[in-house]
Amino acid sequence: MSENKQIVADIDRSLYDFKDVESESDFYRMQEGLTEETVLKVSEEKNDPEWMRQFRLKCLKLYNEIDIPDWGPSIDGLDMDKISSYVRHKSDMKGRWEDVPEDIKNTFERLGIPQAERESLAGVGAQYDSELVYHNVKDEVAAQGVIYTDLESAMWGEYGDMIKEHFMKLVPPTDHKFAALHGAVWSGGSFVYVPKGVKVEIPLQSYFRLNAAGAGQFEHTLIIVDEGADLHFIEGCSAPKYNVANLHAGCVELFVGKNARLRYSTIENWSKNMYNLNTKRAIVEENGIMEWVSGSFGSHTSYLYPMTILKGDNSKMEFTGITFAGKGQNLDTGAKVVHQGKATSSVINTKSISKDGGIGTYRSSVIIQNSAKRAKASVSCDSLMLDSISRADTIPGMDIRTDDADVGHEAKIGRISDEAIFYLMSRGISEEDAKAMIVSGFANPVSKELPLEYAVEMNNLIKLEMSGNG
Amino acid sequence: MNRDINMKVNVLPVLTYNFLHVNDSTLQIKDMEIQTDGAPKPSDIPAGVTLTGEVPFSEAGQVFRANKERILVAKENFAGPNGDTSERDKDQAIRTGMGADVDNLMTNMGVKSDVYTIDEGVRLTSPIILRYDMQNGQGSLSSQVIHAGKNSEATFIMVYDSDKDAAGFHGVSTRILAEDGAKIKLVKAQTLGKEFIHFDDIGGALMKGAEISLVTLELGGSRVYSSSYMYLSDKEASYNSNMGYLCRDDHSLDINYVADQRGKKTNAAMQFKGVLMGTANKTFRGTLDFKTGSSGSVGDEQEDALLLSPDVINRTMPVILCQEEDVEGRHGATIGQLSDDLLFYMQCRGIDEVEAKRIMIRARLESVSRLIPDPEIMQKVQYYIESIV
Repeated sequence: MSENKQIVADIDRSLYDFKDVESESDFYRMQEGLTEETVLKVSEEKNDPEWMRQFRLKCLKLYNEIDIPDWGPSIDGLDMDKISSYVRHKSDMKGRWEDVPEDIKNTFERLGIPQAERESLAGVGAQYDSELVYHNVKDEVAAQGVIYTDLESAMWGEYGDMIKEHFMKLVPPTDHKFAALHGAVWSGGSFVYVPKGVKVEIPLQSYFRLNAAGAGQFEHTLIIVDEGADLHFIEGCSAPKYNVANLHAGCVELFVGKNARLRYSTIENWSKNMYNLNTKRAIVEENGIMEWVSGSFGSHTSYLYPMTILKGDNSKMEFTGITFAGKGQNLDTGAKVVHQGKATSSVINTKSISKDGGIGTYRSSVIIQNSAKRAKASVSCDSLMLDSISRADTIPGMDIRTDDADVGHEAKIGRISDEAIFYLMSRGISEEDAKAMIVSGFANPVSKELPLEYAVEMNNLIKLEMSGNG
Repeated sequence: MNRDINMKVNVLPVLTYNFLHVNDSTLQIKDMEIQTDGAPKPSDIPAGVTLTGEVPFSEAGQVFRANKERILVAKENFAGPNGDTSERDKDQAIRTGMGADVDNLMTNMGVKSDVYTIDEGVRLTSPIILRYDMQNGQGSLSSQVIHAGKNSEATFIMVYDSDKDAAGFHGVSTRILAEDGAKIKLVKAQTLGKEFIHFDDIGGALMKGAEISLVTLELGGSRVYSSSYMYLSDKEASYNSNMGYLCRDDHSLDINYVADQRGKKTNAAMQFKGVLMGTANKTFRGTLDFKTGSSGSVGDEQEDALLLSPDVINRTMPVILCQEEDVEGRHGATIGQLSDDLLFYMQCRGIDEVEAKRIMIRARLESVSRLIPDPEIMQKVQYYIESIV
């Protein structure tokens, strides 16, 4: 058996790609296509308040008016007439793992979610297709006043006004076509509120699984970290591979209060038939800190650029990201930051790997407004080309409107050096292993920012992609 | 007859977010009388150089069309970049930094090109100097094609000048074909009046072992467009570009430089140094594009922008496109004001802040102006810098 096969045997791709046999009678699936009727039907299913029903209709109108972006990867393979916007299990969301329907429970068991919850998480939300099927937060965390629940039920409770005040205010539906789409058919997702001064010591996690073929997932994550509070939130995503296009157009809105800190970590491993058109945005108040850790491995096509608005004086942002574009993938990823407050600072550090004809594009924008005196921004993007049938492009933009700013940018594109491979091979390591080791080293600045078990998962994904079986 | 001009220019090789307003620019001119016979001629034509004047713009581009396969090095393209805009300029005889609208303007206005042909092996020891002395209110379009034969060497210096308060419009297209081993140095020094609209559109192709060195100083004018597109088509072609700019008052400067690396072991180095003052508005686009087949190539682009007013606008788009494994591409940008450490150092030596800024502006611009190989023109440009700063 060759070394290459040994590497493949170590990693079980079926961890993500397995397909659960769903009994049609257990699931409700909405008619494909996007019309006023389907939007109203989603609204009815969600038991929306009237303001939300009207908001969805407004978003649908915007969706029909806004053009598809002319600058990104092609999304010609995405036909909304063949996408079902809403698929749910007929069972309700559960607060006890034992009560989750057997077939769905099996899926998440195989993904290791309940085990992770027991071992290292303060709370877990699990979404299956369009609805959350499980949500739980540890008693001691709940006792601190931390709210971690599904958005729909929170909308009817004591946090209803807070949600109305914040929902799609940071990512308005006018932002782009798929933000409008999200506003029209959003379903599922989490609401997190961390009260003033509360520090959540261990992370919360939401896991999103899109199991149905030809379906869309449109979850909305709204996190409010109040003054002086601290939270690490982890997001995981996966789906089995189908021969038809799936769509993910989620939305994440993060509000980081004065002196607060939020770390948002994502390991995205959607299947390679997925169009991932996700929007993530954070606004940070005075002295607040926003940290993004992002790993993009899956999807057929991605548009993903988490954005941070540094509104408060002395607020900070750090973005650490890696993208691995393999065969058939066109991953257009990066980050955006807007400096508004005085003495704000941002650091963007990204790694991109392209292999087997994959297209990896790093795209970013750094905007320093006139008000952002003494702002500092630093961007570093490294790309690694593993063959000559792939692409690695970097398209960073900077818009600076004050002299009192300090902006540095550096980008590098290159290959694995022959000397490094030779060095490792001369010590008895196979060429494949040597390359995998070098790529893992290249990705190290990202993996070291992740909790251990996620860093291990990320390294496994890199090995899997390197073996050509990703 | 007076003319209106409305062109889309400086289209980024790959589009990005529209909210950044860097994907392209518009060049608009209203009601301007434009001359198309104003291209200056050199005082003498050296032996081994042929100047053919009065060649219709489109016809002058024939030399590029005839060599299209050599320039484009047709190879299987696996996948284009996201937001690729190359289709837009595909009908140009040779792609230029500003793009097809300039070619269309030149053709429609009946501009005649001066075609300089340098014979194989000819090495000029003195530069060919073209002086544009523009008058207040004057509008002018002109064009040159430089075809440098194998192993030839030549330096061209183009000086665009007028009274410092003059207004007008001035547009130039310069296209270059450097055959195997040819070495061309092209210097463009622009010190036009503060109400002048000026564009300088360059396109070129470098064959095996050819070298093009471009030195550009954009110091005057109110709205300035300065752009270049170079094909490094064959093995070991080498392209070096140095730009110095000064953008002040409410003026704008719009830059689009591209190095399209296709041959093996090509080398592209582009440096941009400049100063923004007042409410100046500058957009810089710089692209290194490593095409399939450019293995062993190196590309480097560096930008150093000194911002000296709280109300300047500086947009920077440093792009690297890569379709080849065995290449090294780098970009670096430093944008900001003078560091406190530097100011402190100077103040310790009795130099106040205003003088320190003057010194640093001069240092940036003169590091480029020193590359002008004609002492008289270099001195004149440096005097201009002194007088402005």
